[in-house]
Amino acid sequence: MIGSTLFYVQRYSATYLLAYTIWIASFLIVNNPLEYNSWTAFTNQIDFLVLTSLAAAVSIIHAFIGLWTIGTDYFTSRTLGFLSVSFSKYADTIRGAYTILFSVLGLSIFAIILLTIWS
Amino acid sequence: MSTNHNKIRPVYINLFQIRLPVSAISSITHRLAGIYIFFITLPLSLYLLYFSTKSYNDFMVLKDYLNNTTFLSTFVAFSFLVFAYHILTGVRHLLQDLHIGESLSASRLSSYLVFCVWFLLSVFVFTRLFT
Repeated sequence: MIGSTLFYVQRYSATYLLAYTIWIASFLIVNNPLEYNSWTAFTNQIDFLVLTSLAAAVSIIHAFIGLWTIGTDYFTSRTLGFLSVSFSKYADTIRGAYTILFSVLGLSIFAIILLTIWS
Repeated sequence: MSTNHNKIRPVYINLFQIRLPVSAISSITHRLAGIYIFFITLPLSLYLLYFSTKSYNDFMVLKDYLNNTTFLSTFVAFSFLVFAYHILTGVRHLLQDLHIGESLSASRLSSYLVFCVWFLLSVFVFTRLFT
């Protein structure tokens, strides 16, 4: 159940982020060259604030699933063992530290995005 | 004989000894691009958003940097090209999840197509930046 849920969350979040990126990119293309007034009017509207907050949340969820998948694929005793046999003993510790690192970084980025756009 | 076989069986996987088909190269570079985006492009976008909306002067300073051939403009262009690569390969994966282009030949073709589109996009972006 959890595996297929993560599979679908990864795909739906990707679709949302694709739509969000197209929205931002089309604004930048239509308003090229970009002026300060049109840019701040765009970034102060409620649509931008809500959709960007959602994009911030969705992107850290998407990144968490993606980075966690990479960790469980490559930071295992089997794959680290070919670099050095002593490494393979610490595979779980290395993977745990890596997971904590990107989780803390992801949550920090999420918090800073919200603080930046809503202030 | 089977016991002899077991003795020489490798325990650890040497990832560099596996010869990857082109669709696997597309997949693993999608993952590498994802790591780059999380650690570099995402914080960089946040930095750009912060300074471009901070004040008129900050906006103009940033605009001047990005419109000229500087370290920052090259770095920003490269970071967003990595993002574009992740999107292109990602859309390819999403279409395959919808059972579009799943066959071996279609998969190989779409991998090369994605590389070509991204290469042309990179040439376009860097030509505009450096001339």
